[in-house]
Amino acid sequence: MTKKVLKLLLAFGLLLVTYGMQAQITVKGTVTNAADNMGLPGANVVIKGTSQGVSTDFDGNYSIEVSDANAILQFSYVGFSSQEIAVNGQTTINVALQEDASQLDEVVVTALGIRKETKALGYSITKVEGEQVSLVKETNAINGLQGKIAGVNITQNSTGAAGSSRVIIRGNTSLTGENQPLYVIDGIPMGNDVSGSASLWGGNDGGDGVSSLNPDDIESMSVLKGGAAAALYGSRASNGVIMITTKTGKGQKGIGVEINSTTVFDVVDTSLQDFQTSYGQGSFGAAPLTQEDALNNSSSWGSRLDGSSVVQFDGVSRPYSYTGNNLKKFYRTGTTFTNTVALSGSNDKSNFRFSATDLSNQDIMPNASLNRKSFSLNLGSQLGEKLTLTVNAKYIREGAKNRPRLSDAPGNGNFSVMNAAPNINVLDYRPGINEDGTEFRINSNIFNQNPYWAAFHFNNMDARNRFIGSFSVRYDVLDWLYINARVGTDTYARKSTATEPWGTAYKPLGAMEEWERRYSQTDSDLMIGIDRDINDQFAVSAFVGGAQNTQERENLKLRGEDFVVAGLEHVQNTSNQTLEHQYFKKKINSLYGSLEVSYNDYLYLTGTVRNDWFSTLSFPGKTTPNNDLYYSGNLSFILSDALELPEVIRFAKFRTGYSKVAGGADNPYELALVYGIDGSHLGQPFGGVGGSDPNQIPLGDLVAYNVDEFEVGLDTRLLDGKLSLDLAYYSKETTNDIVPVGTSSTSGYSSALANIGKISNKGFEMLISARPVSTDDFSWQTTYNLSINNSEVVATDAANGDIQLGRTTSNLTQIRHFVGQPYGTIYGTSYVRDDNGNIVYENVANGVPHAVRGEYKILGEGVPPTTMGWTNEFRYKNFNLSFLIDAKFGGQIFSSTNRITTLGGLHKQTLEGRENGLTVTGTDVDTGQQFTATVAPEDLAEYWSNIGDISEAFIQDADYIKLRQISLGYTIPSTFLEKFSISSASVSVIGSNLFYLLRDAENIDPESSYQVGNGQGLEYFGLPSARRYGVSLNVKF
Amino acid sequence: MKKIVFTILAVLLVFVSCDEGFDELNVNPTKAAQIAPGNKLTKAILQTSGGRYENWRANLIYCSTMMQHFATIPGYWTGDKYSWNRGYASSLFDRYYPDTVKTVEDLLFQLNEEGHPEEMIAVTRILRVFVYHRLTDLYGDVPYSEAGKGVIEGITMPRYDSQEAIYADMLKELEEAAAALGTGTSEFGAADVMFNGDLSKWKKFANSMMLRLSLRLIKVDAAGAQAWATKAINGGLMTSNDDIAYLAHTNGPDGINKNGNGEVFSADGSPRISETFMGFLQGDPRLPILAARRSDGSTNPADLKGLPNGLDSAGLLDLTGEENTDAYAEPNRSIITGEDAPMFFQTYAEVEFMLAECAERWGLAGGDAEAHYNAGVTAAMKMLSLYGEAAVISDTDIADYLVANPFDSNNALEMIGNQYWIATFLNEYETFANWRRTGFPVLTPVNFPGNETNGTIPRRLTYSGSEETANPENYAAAIAAQGPDVLTTRVWWDAN
Repeated sequence: MTKKVLKLLLAFGLLLVTYGMQAQITVKGTVTNAADNMGLPGANVVIKGTSQGVSTDFDGNYSIEVSDANAILQFSYVGFSSQEIAVNGQTTINVALQEDASQLDEVVVTALGIRKETKALGYSITKVEGEQVSLVKETNAINGLQGKIAGVNITQNSTGAAGSSRVIIRGNTSLTGENQPLYVIDGIPMGNDVSGSASLWGGNDGGDGVSSLNPDDIESMSVLKGGAAAALYGSRASNGVIMITTKTGKGQKGIGVEINSTTVFDVVDTSLQDFQTSYGQGSFGAAPLTQEDALNNSSSWGSRLDGSSVVQFDGVSRPYSYTGNNLKKFYRTGTTFTNTVALSGSNDKSNFRFSATDLSNQDIMPNASLNRKSFSLNLGSQLGEKLTLTVNAKYIREGAKNRPRLSDAPGNGNFSVMNAAPNINVLDYRPGINEDGTEFRINSNIFNQNPYWAAFHFNNMDARNRFIGSFSVRYDVLDWLYINARVGTDTYARKSTATEPWGTAYKPLGAMEEWERRYSQTDSDLMIGIDRDINDQFAVSAFVGGAQNTQERENLKLRGEDFVVAGLEHVQNTSNQTLEHQYFKKKINSLYGSLEVSYNDYLYLTGTVRNDWFSTLSFPGKTTPNNDLYYSGNLSFILSDALELPEVIRFAKFRTGYSKVAGGADNPYELALVYGIDGSHLGQPFGGVGGSDPNQIPLGDLVAYNVDEFEVGLDTRLLDGKLSLDLAYYSKETTNDIVPVGTSSTSGYSSALANIGKISNKGFEMLISARPVSTDDFSWQTTYNLSINNSEVVATDAANGDIQLGRTTSNLTQIRHFVGQPYGTIYGTSYVRDDNGNIVYENVANGVPHAVRGEYKILGEGVPPTTMGWTNEFRYKNFNLSFLIDAKFGGQIFSSTNRITTLGGLHKQTLEGRENGLTVTGTDVDTGQQFTATVAPEDLAEYWSNIGDISEAFIQDADYIKLRQISLGYTIPSTFLEKFSISSASVSVIGSNLFYLLRDAENIDPESSYQVGNGQGLEYFGLPSARRYGVSLNVKF
Repeated sequence: MKKIVFTILAVLLVFVSCDEGFDELNVNPTKAAQIAPGNKLTKAILQTSGGRYENWRANLIYCSTMMQHFATIPGYWTGDKYSWNRGYASSLFDRYYPDTVKTVEDLLFQLNEEGHPEEMIAVTRILRVFVYHRLTDLYGDVPYSEAGKGVIEGITMPRYDSQEAIYADMLKELEEAAAALGTGTSEFGAADVMFNGDLSKWKKFANSMMLRLSLRLIKVDAAGAQAWATKAINGGLMTSNDDIAYLAHTNGPDGINKNGNGEVFSADGSPRISETFMGFLQGDPRLPILAARRSDGSTNPADLKGLPNGLDSAGLLDLTGEENTDAYAEPNRSIITGEDAPMFFQTYAEVEFMLAECAERWGLAGGDAEAHYNAGVTAAMKMLSLYGEAAVISDTDIADYLVANPFDSNNALEMIGNQYWIATFLNEYETFANWRRTGFPVLTPVNFPGNETNGTIPRRLTYSGSEETANPENYAAAIAAQGPDVLTTRVWWDAN
């Protein structure tokens, strides 16, 4: 097998060498729009009968090598009629293309890599070009899609530059299972495992699978939103599919060289926080008197800052004055340098592209960094008349150092910096270490870490070596019959080291973990298909095939506790060592088929059918099915071709479809209770119930879940194509969802696997794009997208119990599913109010009213239902300016930052009453009477600490409108570049995350959950948001 | 051409039958379908001793400070100042049910299903009662008859049984289990890491626990208490420190191998010996074993000073002018705070003190309260040797102590209660239960600003917050029956 592959590679190499060995003439010219004589950038010029071709540059100019003087050139451009012109020895051919809205023969790659004209599609698919994704470089390329596609909701959250993102298409499909889409790269599914995330108890975000992707390699991304589009990828596509096509060497004459260089700076956005700066550290309205006092009371309940000398955590007395913004002092300016070199080339038989990228990031968190080196090779070749081979290989080497710890305090420097009292200068926490090598304590609570200790002495690093490769071969048996075979793999090994150093306050002897994960996903696929015109009116396109997906994951963990030799961080240098081994393997086998019939090129009807077998639903002796059959049907009707429509409507297409997708359990081994040996004590091995989740009651009869989706849409081009409008409505329902339903922990288990979850998502999507101005020198293109998704949990289990997705450590706030409510509501304790809505207090007689902690209530929605994005692109001569504003509405977030800073007297709302007492009016629970009481300044902490148990008080609207990104570019005129044999060059300045036009949440970024799992809506001292500024350079030779 | 098509069709046909091997693929290759009961018993005993989590929060942060064994300055030691941290208060509940209860119920089910010998079942039943009595004593009405049966019986929302019913059943369980035990070694053998399979020790433990439970009833059913105490005494109790129910711990490798209290002391330097406890230990040879000065580890009784409860650092400064608590005594880190220290479940000393009480109240156990009292004090001092050489107290010192602190029959119950309180140091769950029952020692509550109990010592800890949402109906029913889920509500046997 390997020998064969080597031979093939050798053959490709030889093909590459044969470049430029034929006699050639060069044809040059300009492709313009016949309507306005403007150059058409990106128009295709192809030598008929070959795959050889080029694209026009920004001004519509092209230049192509033609080996045969009698060749025919085909000129095409999306939305325009194509033209064919014979070369006949000409060296200059200028072409003016006619706009033709009915000629929307744009080709998109759909499921299984099948190319289809968009007009034939009865479902919604949105394509985004690579340049748009990589315009403002994000360390995680998928973030480049944010705000750009209706129905795609991306949440970046506060996980750090090397962290994960959450991508949801048309709402959450599963109550508790995987909800992120399937990523398919060049036809091969790609793993998107999240390598660890912060929990309510702390931890860090290990990054996700898709973040390895190099934005400079992306040719385009197509988002297949609905089930109809995805039916052919099977269950893994029930959350939608993001198809990524990487760049190839196609159309590149000779050897082309492209260089991209981007530098981005991240600056922590301190405009988000607005804390009080007039009262200092202390308690009961008094500054600390002793070092011990300062260590015990780090909160800001002291007296008014008066410049007097007051002792601090380290025993040193400093002026009791505001010391300035601690975030600015602690965080640094982050930098990201991304440099890509790409070589590409093609001839009429084959093409190649090789790229190498280095991304070097220094996060705003001191001492945290990420380096990613990506190498990508694409080879395509036509062997003889009928055989086409494509090979893609990507090797990605990624290393991260000190991913910032998030959420609960241990090891989380963000927590300590954000909570420092106004008179504390975090720089005084430096260097964070005592002479004896132990942590320099800033607080008697051992879990409140010195941020410098956390940043510089917690040595955490991880490295991932990843290979993504695919090999596909297509054999055109007849001109209407083909066979396509494909095999691909995504495999990586990730090694990480996490150290809690010797001398850490909460872990005096320290601990460390060496963790290795091996992951592989292998897909193989074989299909046979036909494409045939039956007569003048009818044409058929059909295929059948089979596929297999195998996923394997193995974790090896060595943990050592209590270092013996201080300072030597090696797992064998510990007095207690434990090991852990986990193994998962699962498979899905599938058979599928599709049939498309078209009539007169304006009516298309497509049907698909698929059967999946799931190993996760199999078990010896199981009687319920382990497989499910599902299908889809959709229709596309080009109204503008079939009917006489008013002149103003250039193009109109109606589409509708229905689909059903089935899915198995995400995890293997959930069907039976199993036991494990956990260790030994006094020489006696011990063990008990212990599968991958020992606290889950298994379900032996587990069957597949289904997602049913109905979609209807209208796609129109109006006013000579200057305005286009795409509308979609969908309704999807998940039934038999596989959910762990919450149980009382007194049952011995915290959840029970059930098979009756039901959730519905109904939504509306709109995309308007317009080109209001379009002249030689100036053009303006504007695009607005809007999506509204209404989700509803319809059923959970037999008793319709609720399902918990997340919670705070106090358990006073939770993210839960309730029947009849939207996905993942925020549920927590509330105020008790009397009939008139007055807050009820107890302890009134003692002078400090305590707000009574009321029942748990639904307090908000963790997932914003409304998202929108507005992109504007202006071009003036060689300058272009674009900006994106995006917005989300209707969601809420529970802010632990606001809760904890309120309890700590740092929040501005705690200022009231510091001098003369706070007047509180409410109803006394004992008497039922209205009262007005004044809380003495020294009792304010007590007053607020009771409110701290009331989640309702810290729920904030997560609505925002944000200037997401802006870029100003200049394309250097080609006349100038020719002297340097540069074919094109451009430079841009870019900015992202710059400012909010609207933000309701106080002191936090409204998108700052500390993890990207299903339980969204809990904020807890993640990495603060940063503004990004940068400059980007692109040169092609 | 045809060949190719046929080949493809053949490949597709292979796919059709292609859930080949799927059944086996989904059998977890790293786990077993069942394990030996002994493996589970070892785990259950370890889980009964518990982890750092609940020993830190429920045992030490709450019980030990409320009971004034320890005193602390930092605010998160909520028991010292009677403030409420819901997660801390429910920590034993949160850990025992999914860990200990699950293992014990699963083990019992397996033993019955597979028809193992009666004595193995009896041993498991005794351990099971120990687990539940600790839960119900701390929380009151708790899930009992339906608990831990999520898989066994598919009960996902267990009801809360009344403490009265739980006590009746636990006593019956102990009686039946003890009756099933004779002498010899159980098939658990060395997997029984508490008694090494010694059935006579399990029998004594069952009867001694029966005596403990019987006396708990004293305020609500004095006659029942006497009847069960009589039955326990007749059944045969622990007779020496060899009979103590305890678990030996090791310094790892995992957290579960370690003494949970020891892990807390490794991590948390805040606890100081309470001024109250220090007062009781004056002239007691146990003092230099249990306490040492924080600053320099001195165990010279003259250097040992107890910290008053209910102070924060400002309060300490006000009261004493001290900026920190380095001058105060803490648990002696060279002897009793080890992660390999033994964890006591019930001791012979406790049994003697209970016998002294039975003698005093009802003339039981020979009727000589003083003899039992003296035996109890002696055993309580001697048993410290389980902490190692440094903790051995000489017979002379014990005799001197008894001479200097003779039993006073006019004050018998208080003296017994005070000694029981000293003897259960670090088993704070038991200290708290016995104090609520007897009222001894007489403790002066603190009244820190903003406390949750209006300046009274809590009478129970509160349920898990997750029950409010995960088991709402049964949780509501429990509150309706027992009273509000607050620290001041009394459990059934703790009648006013």
